[in-house]
Amino acid sequence: MDKETRDMLLETAGRFFTERCDRAVVNNVEKGVWPADLWKEIEEMGLPLIAVAEDKGGVGGTLADMLALLRLAGEHAVPVPLAETALSNLLIGAAGGTPKPGPATLALGDLKLSGNRLSGKVARVPFATVVQRFVVVVDRTLVVVPASGARVESTPSHAGEPYGQVSFDNATVEFSGASAVSAERAFELAALMRSMQMAGAGDRILATAAEYSKQRVQFGKPISTFQAIQHMLAELASCVAATIASAEAASRDADEGGLEAGGRFSIAAAKSQCSDFAHRIAAISHQSMGAMGFTHEHILHHYTRRLWVWRRDFGSESFWGEKIGAAYAKAGPDMLWEGLSASRYPT
Amino acid sequence: MSIPKLEFPPFHLPPEAEALRLDVRAFLKDIVPKIKTEDRFASWNTASPEFSRALGKKGWIGITWPKQYGGSEKSFLERYVVTEELLGNGAPAGAHWVADRQSGPLLLRFGSEEQRQAILPRITAGECFFSIGMSEPDSGSDLASVRTRAEPVPGGFRVNGTKVWTSGAHRNHYCITLVRTSGQHGDRHKGLSQLLVDLKTPGVTIRPIINLAGRHDWNEVTFNDAFIPESCLIGNEGDGWLQVTSELAFERSGPERFMQNFYVLRELVRVLGRNPSGRAASILGRLIARLWTLRQMSVAVAGMMQGGKSPAIEAALVKDLGTIYQQDLPEVARVIAESDATTDDDMADFLDIAQYATMMAPSYTIQGGTTQVLRGIVARGLGLR
Repeated sequence: MDKETRDMLLETAGRFFTERCDRAVVNNVEKGVWPADLWKEIEEMGLPLIAVAEDKGGVGGTLADMLALLRLAGEHAVPVPLAETALSNLLIGAAGGTPKPGPATLALGDLKLSGNRLSGKVARVPFATVVQRFVVVVDRTLVVVPASGARVESTPSHAGEPYGQVSFDNATVEFSGASAVSAERAFELAALMRSMQMAGAGDRILATAAEYSKQRVQFGKPISTFQAIQHMLAELASCVAATIASAEAASRDADEGGLEAGGRFSIAAAKSQCSDFAHRIAAISHQSMGAMGFTHEHILHHYTRRLWVWRRDFGSESFWGEKIGAAYAKAGPDMLWEGLSASRYPT
Repeated sequence: MSIPKLEFPPFHLPPEAEALRLDVRAFLKDIVPKIKTEDRFASWNTASPEFSRALGKKGWIGITWPKQYGGSEKSFLERYVVTEELLGNGAPAGAHWVADRQSGPLLLRFGSEEQRQAILPRITAGECFFSIGMSEPDSGSDLASVRTRAEPVPGGFRVNGTKVWTSGAHRNHYCITLVRTSGQHGDRHKGLSQLLVDLKTPGVTIRPIINLAGRHDWNEVTFNDAFIPESCLIGNEGDGWLQVTSELAFERSGPERFMQNFYVLRELVRVLGRNPSGRAASILGRLIARLWTLRQMSVAVAGMMQGGKSPAIEAALVKDLGTIYQQDLPEVARVIAESDATTDDDMADFLDIAQYATMMAPSYTIQGGTTQVLRGIVARGLGLR
């Protein structure tokens, strides 16, 4: 979509998230209350179909459009699987399918497909207990399994989101098509999706901590006037800036390079970077807000706890760091700068 | 009351810049091994006049300047690529670095026609090198408190005072010197001017200041009734503060703020071998990811500058993060090499490199604006002060 259309969509979505994803909604999800109305409205706005072609009933946006929306969703801790469903639907569409309504998620792991039967187990599947279907890529085949075909054990994430362990035991698939992406690539795209959500969470954490420092009065003046606080928040800004810059650069590279292989190195580097700095972002923001930010009452933990979970989802900094490090070590020191300056794995 | 959102719009260096990259890279692969320097790990603070002359012959110094002064009238982005290739390929680019980065652009912007014609073609030829005369014994981060005084006398100025941390003054030709030409110490930004000082001027004394690594980069430059002709005033008398702050912007935004010790990363790849343990690969990869991110941020800033914006806060963020990365690098690299180096020979060599890099590391977060000054700038940008 053109820039004007995207900006308009983001503005509308931003207003909607501000109104509808308030503290109570996010906290209720943690208590196990599925926000059916919120999901219905998100579907009515077409958001889960943002990157699905118009002739399949979608909005017709690009991967980059979807990722921009997900940064915004991260900024609002949207407590439903918008990201997971939007990426699932994109992949279903690209595999020749037509996405059905209802929340979906990606179950990516060591799975086996024989004929139309899927078997295997995947741990820490986001929103596993509330979705209506699972999207799986095995070799170059994409399959969709209805929730009724899987056994799900609830293992809520430490951010209180309904993650779970999903087992398929000769499960019947409701859709099967030639996948536009490999299983490894689907995992990369999911890592990119999380990086953009982390960028959004970073946006919100910085704004929250900075606003708080202007409001909070101690020793007779706002704590924002203390140099110690100013320097902490400046450091926080630098960590958030790195998160944003890496996620945005990877999004650009993935979009421009094509769904199948665009920005492979950039995505790995971005997820490594975003995961790496999650710790400092959480640590500084909490320190700057004192006991207030440590309460369940305050919203800061909606974002810091998600960062702590998201940094592990779809590859931590250890996982992506190892991929990058192994490739660069194999290529040797003379290829280091050539690879880095071209945002590529060295060859 | 709302906090401005940080943005680093991803930016592509244009095709002409990428084409130039290949030329520069080919040239450097050929010439760098032939240049003798005392430094095994050269960077932008290792001076080789021989190298700078060769680079000047290629037309890659002052690349953005008008042709009439020896420039090539290329874009700021092409300069960016030359800069990062010099750093990425370990070129001893220190002799001309300051002249190319900030002294030349300053003369181009504020200097007289006579100054431009006399100096700029010599800079682009790689034959004229500059020092920065800002800091003094009592003026570091608080630059406006400088005490060096230039008293107007017939035909020029009589200068008295002391500059310190003056890199390369013992081998450079000129020093652009910030002085007080009117008013009193304490008038802050008023009454300051910049002078183009020939470092061979009688009354100018240069003494080495050795740093903790035993290197002689810095000097103390003393002015003792030194006469500087009126023709060497840069811009208008009293505009020194405005001019010097525009110079600082050039000083902060480049890739030298995160690639100064790139050799440590390159040598770490060497010492870990082609098939490192998963743990070593992971730590190496995380360092590479951080450096890649810094480059994306820096290129985004370059793109904003090319687009006519003044991303002062973004540039400060890059220098803050970049210099801290440079301080972390030798530490992280040493620890992983201690446990994962493939051979003892490699290890001894690498420890030497890491130790040297560790000794140089404290300077990164001081030169060109301390971390604390930068964080003050960022805090102001966030609306906190």
